[in-house]
Amino acid sequence: MVEKLRNYGIVAVFATLFIILSFASQSFLSPRNGANILDQSSILIILATTSTLCIIAGIFDLSIAAVGTGSAIMTVHAVNQFGLAGMIGGILFGALLGYITGIAIVSTNVSNFIGTLAASFTYRGLGLILASGGMVTINNPETAETMLGIFEGRLFGLKGAVYVSLTFAIIVGLALSKTVWGKKVYAVGGNAQAAYLAGIRPNRILISVYVVSGIGAGLAGVIYAGRYGTAATNSYSDTAAFTAIAAAVVGGVSVFGGTGAIWRGVLGILTFALIGNGLNLLGVDTTYQLTILGLLIFAAVAADQIFRRKKA
Amino acid sequence: MNSPTALVQLHEISKSFGATKAVKNVSVGLPAAQIIGLVGENGAGKSTLAKMIAGVYSADEGVIEFDGEPVSFKSPYEALNTGVSMMAQEIMLIPDATVEDNIFSGKMPARGMLPDRKKIRSEFEKLNNLTGFALDPDARVSTLRLADQQKVEIMRSISRNTKLIIMDEPSASLTVDEVQRLHHTIKELASKGVTILLISHFLEEVLDITQTVIVMRDGEVVRTGPTNLETVDSLVSGMVGRSLETRYFESQSASNNKVALSVQNVSNSFLTNISFDIHEGEILGLAGLIGSGRTEIARAIYGADRITAGQLKIGGQLCEISSPSTAIKNGIFMVPESRKEEGLFLEASILDNLMISTLGERAKRKFISKSATEKAAVALAEKVDLRYNSIHQSAGSLSGGNQQKILFGRAIEIAPKILIVDEPTRGVDIAAKRAIHEILINLAKQGIAILFISSEIEEVLGVSDRVLVIHRGKVQAEFTTPFDQTNVMAAFFGQTTGENNG
Repeated sequence: MVEKLRNYGIVAVFATLFIILSFASQSFLSPRNGANILDQSSILIILATTSTLCIIAGIFDLSIAAVGTGSAIMTVHAVNQFGLAGMIGGILFGALLGYITGIAIVSTNVSNFIGTLAASFTYRGLGLILASGGMVTINNPETAETMLGIFEGRLFGLKGAVYVSLTFAIIVGLALSKTVWGKKVYAVGGNAQAAYLAGIRPNRILISVYVVSGIGAGLAGVIYAGRYGTAATNSYSDTAAFTAIAAAVVGGVSVFGGTGAIWRGVLGILTFALIGNGLNLLGVDTTYQLTILGLLIFAAVAADQIFRRKKA
Repeated sequence: MNSPTALVQLHEISKSFGATKAVKNVSVGLPAAQIIGLVGENGAGKSTLAKMIAGVYSADEGVIEFDGEPVSFKSPYEALNTGVSMMAQEIMLIPDATVEDNIFSGKMPARGMLPDRKKIRSEFEKLNNLTGFALDPDARVSTLRLADQQKVEIMRSISRNTKLIIMDEPSASLTVDEVQRLHHTIKELASKGVTILLISHFLEEVLDITQTVIVMRDGEVVRTGPTNLETVDSLVSGMVGRSLETRYFESQSASNNKVALSVQNVSNSFLTNISFDIHEGEILGLAGLIGSGRTEIARAIYGADRITAGQLKIGGQLCEISSPSTAIKNGIFMVPESRKEEGLFLEASILDNLMISTLGERAKRKFISKSATEKAAVALAEKVDLRYNSIHQSAGSLSGGNQQKILFGRAIEIAPKILIVDEPTRGVDIAAKRAIHEILINLAKQGIAILFISSEIEEVLGVSDRVLVIHRGKVQAEFTTPFDQTNVMAAFFGQTTGENNG
């Protein structure tokens, strides 16, 4: 019973919220509102996906917002140089930064928390350099228009960015649950020492996780550049990284690593969106929303702790 | 069993962890101002019993009386305030604080908000005189030797007006000299009216310094009585319920087979010049005290610790083993010492735990074939006689013995030529222990060379074809069947006697 509650609590919370809001607000169930919720969440779905992956692997990556920002700036530069193909450059740049973070942390044995925090400052500084201290803009209006169309244009009522982020979440989710690599990620996150003695190379796995985290952030950067046609050093604030981590935890991913699934992080983000959306529809002052969200996050972590103690 | 002078009296105490009954209906008294020995095999329930007295665990059933009053400690803190302190197997001190500050950290003499340094120093001197330890109050704990750190723990216990000190294996990691000094301290404390409950695997120690001894087996107290009526043999037969000479299995006489692994002059920071051969189908036992270097030999062979000198030959071929993954590729697998910390993924399923090392080989283009791996895992579980409900249940939900069997399942799946097993039966019940011994024997019969490490001397002698005794990082002696337990035991302590050594 306790085990079930821990495993499916987030589903119950999400469903309850959904039902309550359906009754409480007439406009909640409208297709437009649903599309709105997803549109607003698209970037965070990507970041929650990689944050969930990191937590399962037993690490936190606090640098994703900075990597996303750097990638957005890099995307603008690359697109100005190579046209639309430059978008790939933005993603590769994210992957490269993730790889550097991974190598640096794994080879020095710095704690991942502090290591990625330091990386976050460094990459934000790098963004500052790349943007020459200000803002960069896509200078070909046609290219900017096409990119806007890709990410903001609607197909079946949903924006392109939503399809991109859900596809990314599904790919990472499948890789994690169906491949040998995924099993090794769980093993390293669950017990790195045991994984090592079982013949896994934990460092390699961790570096690959940092790279995927970087790719996600890179993708977020590309979407930003596409949406706004510009990028600056404040494109993504670190709150985005914290929200993504919080979503994974609220979704029921244990911060101790080794357990969880990608859908949990995604559902966590959607729950946040639902709360925000619901409070708006119900006319609750936006000033209360952050407080409510904060308490919810704390409750989720506390519940995880309590369930663990019960089991022990 | 009720004695009028008992400081602590237990009435029908029981404690379970999940399905395992760790302590069953125990009624026993601890006579005041005595040194009381508590002996039993691994998993007999000694530590659990002690932890209930010290308030770490609460009893499921029964009553504990302290000084004639029924008590139910909800935490070690409550127990401490009543006068019970427990020194755990691991030292629990603040390494960067001074000796003095560690001793008084709980109840620091103070003037208002500030520590009263003068009072602290004078209290410390009183303790120093009482115990005769002569420790430097300003030394940082991290700079002290282990034995001295234990003294700090003892002084801390006494500073709190402790009436009962529980020591769980205090001499396990001490040198011979340090052990003697510890014994002196314990006697000194007892003569000053402190009651000591000593949990120990060293039977000589128990016979030497205790007045009363409690023997436990399978969670029950087998008997309790004056120590001077006991001998090593009588204690052991009480603990095991069978006599010493029992040999579990016929020896394989595999020493004429081909050499599977040759360890040649291997050294690192723990080991000096380790050399030996293991033959195909042979079970080679590694015996010795905890900390003697047995585990370090295993880890060095397995590539988990670096080797600074020497070499390994597998099947006559020189092999460079730089990590466990290269070891596995070269046909070596190790079932590590502590299954929970080093072996298993407790939150993961039985299936994943069994297959983790071989997923790559079984996968089709990196994707796992669910039905095939499931089938293979179920077959493995059967081979090792695993008791479970679903192959998808978490490894953490199984008993210790079944958890250990998972690791053997993983070993069979990897199919190594050389299998290292480090303390495979620690904390498992008798039935699981038997099963594990049978698995080992069967693997040896298939030609696998097995390096078997255990702290339980009876087990090493009962299962191995040949035994090496390790002492201070060196091979002290080699024994072949029939084993002479006294000689083997002597080698544990660095004494090599008899002609049976090599």
